[in-house]
Amino acid sequence: MYYIQLALNGLSQGLVVGLAALGITLVFGIARFANASAGDGLTFGAYLALVGQRITDSLLLGVGFSIIVSALANVLSYKLVFKKLAGRSSVALLVGSIGLGFLVRGALGVVFGHQQEVFNVQLVAPYRIGELAISILDLQMASVAALALAATFGTLYFTSIGRQMRAVADNLELARVCGIHPERVMIALWSLVGAVTAVAGLILGIKTVVSPEAGWEMLLPAFAAAILGGIGSPVGAVLAGLLLGVAQEVSTPFVGFSYKIALSFVVILFVLLVRPSGLLGRIEGVR
Amino acid sequence: MQMNRRSFVTAVGAGITLSATSKWALAQGTGPIRIGALNPVTGAGSPYGSGMQKMILAAADAVNAAGGVAGRQIQIFAEDDQTNPQAGVLAAKKLIEVNKVQAILGTWASGVTLAVLPLCKAANIPILHTSGAPDLSDLKVTGGWGYRFHTPNGRTGRCYAEMCKKEGFKRVATMAFNNASGLGLTEVFAKAWKEMGNEIVEKVVYEPNQTSYRSELMKVLAAKPDAIVTGSYYADSTILMREWFQTGQKTRWVIPGHATTPEFIKAVGSVAEGVLTADLVVAKESPSYAPFDEAYRKQMGQSGDSNIYAAMTWDMLIALALAIEAAGSVNTTEVNKSIRVVANPPGATVHVFADGKKKLKEGKIDYYGCSSVLNFDDNGDITPDFGVYKIESGALARQYTLRI
Repeated sequence: MYYIQLALNGLSQGLVVGLAALGITLVFGIARFANASAGDGLTFGAYLALVGQRITDSLLLGVGFSIIVSALANVLSYKLVFKKLAGRSSVALLVGSIGLGFLVRGALGVVFGHQQEVFNVQLVAPYRIGELAISILDLQMASVAALALAATFGTLYFTSIGRQMRAVADNLELARVCGIHPERVMIALWSLVGAVTAVAGLILGIKTVVSPEAGWEMLLPAFAAAILGGIGSPVGAVLAGLLLGVAQEVSTPFVGFSYKIALSFVVILFVLLVRPSGLLGRIEGVR
Repeated sequence: MQMNRRSFVTAVGAGITLSATSKWALAQGTGPIRIGALNPVTGAGSPYGSGMQKMILAAADAVNAAGGVAGRQIQIFAEDDQTNPQAGVLAAKKLIEVNKVQAILGTWASGVTLAVLPLCKAANIPILHTSGAPDLSDLKVTGGWGYRFHTPNGRTGRCYAEMCKKEGFKRVATMAFNNASGLGLTEVFAKAWKEMGNEIVEKVVYEPNQTSYRSELMKVLAAKPDAIVTGSYYADSTILMREWFQTGQKTRWVIPGHATTPEFIKAVGSVAEGVLTADLVVAKESPSYAPFDEAYRKQMGQSGDSNIYAAMTWDMLIALALAIEAAGSVNTTEVNKSIRVVANPPGATVHVFADGKKKLKEGKIDYYGCSSVLNFDDNGDITPDFGVYKIESGALARQYTLRI
């Protein structure tokens, strides 16, 4: 029972990582670079939700505000930074994203200060099913995450723009020949990434505390999940995030709390040795 | 060609040496006295860091307004150590090698101070800090260049053990943030607690920057402790307390004073009721408090007693300035010797720089700070009093004072 409880704890942690990894993997698959500003995107989303909650006095409206503004801000970052760098090497884009990350982190520090902020949520005792304790806050966060995932995958697989995005991810030249407008796809991509990142960030913020460095600290685990899931594979990223969370927590009785972080990297090492493409990735990837 | 290049290199080399020497001569000669402020503006120390740094700058302004020291003005070079040893070392190297500072003031985390101290020792400059690690009392480590304006963890640990005894706790567990300060604090507490004939029912060390500490809490709570003593900072304490409340299990908490900030209490809300804490207290009754409080209100918009560490950094600069004034030179070895001379008895009691400067002309002085009486022993440590607090109706309520 103890292990099931640990696995549940792991799932709730893995959600945040999985969502962040989803944002990274979408950018990698379609815009073709490793987006190092994703971590600060999380922080930005969390602060937006805080501001939204304070203005409207409702967490739900705050969440909506965060998703919309974060999507717009991401489109803006595409227009101002990544579009200018399009066609350069992916290293240029990577460095651009690192710079953007610094800018966002610095600006948040100036505007909100380095003090921590917390979401005003009601803390209540958990549901008990036998010996299992299920946090109500976790359930709420899980449903928000599920909604976000449903919306993302719905967009990707059941809409025209989603098909276009996947076509660009598959083969940019071919997509262009078929009359797909890359600019439109990019705008759709960055809004989607902004929304997903905002959800990941605000869940992180609600579960923990919000500070300008909070999201940056999540970048490494999120990248790990994106790689484990098979870089460019949206479903893989989410699965990998959950898997890493569960693996970390279930390992704690054996390796303790300090080394559980290292364990997730052992998992990655193992997976990459056995299956270099990641869980759901394709070996050929981007040609 | 060969000769040309050689002579070119020589000329450039000579030029560099010359300009370096002239800069050095300037630093030693008549320019301003250069002091480094290395504070945790970001990272776990961020609730205090900005205030600490601003108070070094404000104290320097006060000193300069009083005519400076040894006939010279003080110039502060401010850096952020990010509460992170690597960043701290980089910043300290820059302060020492580029800015040629003659002292470093206000490192906060033990890990940072321990990392920066060897650089100061090698450069023969004093480091005045607010860290707790026991090693910082060791002359082999400090070489006599370290001054602790806080109290060593050993004393804090004994203080927590006394508090737990007074509350009648029997089964106590510990939770430690995995760094020198967090581990050190819970270890010295465990030692003192066991010496009193008690046991530690469970101990957990946790990592920073996790999205949840529920599994860690599960392990500790499974031992059914009366109380959990933490070696923690305020962000992780906030997460721990909020998650603990959601488990529905009753226990009490003893959390370090540097973590139970007003922000912590606000963030945790009613869950924080009954949390015990102990910290050094700002000497509000001392005449040195008023000028510090005024400066702190002006810069930070809060009362001075909300940041004991800022009071410490204020005292650092005043004490150092008085030491330079007393030494009459900027030779760091002389200054290092005279820190104890101006801070410890015997001498006329002084509370502000201008007064101290005046009284130094007549004889010895003894500076009383706004953070503590400031008498350094041979190891560079002071013996301040602890205030023990309980969080009641959203504020720290003073219970009693412990002298250990």
